[in-house]
Amino acid sequence: MSAYIYDVFVVLGLLVMTLGVFGIIRMPDLYMKLHAASKTVVLGVMVLALTATALHEESVVARTILLCLILVVTTPVSSHAVGRAGFLLHERMSSPGAVDESGSHLGEDTPTWRL
Amino acid sequence: MHEIVYYIATVWMTALLCVCLVMVVRAKSALTRILALDAVTLVLVALLVIYSATTGKGYYIDAAILLALLSFISTVAAARYHSERRIF
Repeated sequence: MSAYIYDVFVVLGLLVMTLGVFGIIRMPDLYMKLHAASKTVVLGVMVLALTATALHEESVVARTILLCLILVVTTPVSSHAVGRAGFLLHERMSSPGAVDESGSHLGEDTPTWRL
Repeated sequence: MHEIVYYIATVWMTALLCVCLVMVVRAKSALTRILALDAVTLVLVALLVIYSATTGKGYYIDAAILLALLSFISTVAAARYHSERRIF
């Protein structure tokens, strides 16, 4: 019975990773693509890493835990680096109501008040 | 049953890898290309984890851990160099 639960986890991980790659392709903006890449793909990898513990071998389980810890620590740092690079290079947001709340990139003709 | 599920998962992840590689080639800006390269490496990590789950060998996850660490370092270095022209 528990083996079928791991099959369900495999299908769930595949679904989440497919959604992440689809989001990277279809999202209009760098920041939205970053959202899809940093959350969805990593969660899919972690769900798939959960299925590798179905073997109940100690070496596989320990390495899987180490892989999940490394992904949890490193992925926010790398996605923050990419987002900061996009902010420094004046990458535009494509959604209609987007407001740069830091205010550091305001031009001279734009009003100083912000929403 | 489980062999069929893992086989379908391997084929599907390979298709996702091809889609990510096409995304790397066809990206409009360099930052999107860096992001797609990060996604390619994570898909490779998932492929290695699935392969380790099918064969029962633990040392494929070692390669997955190394790929995750290398993709982290390369993504941070490429993004910082592209935005500020220096890494450290």
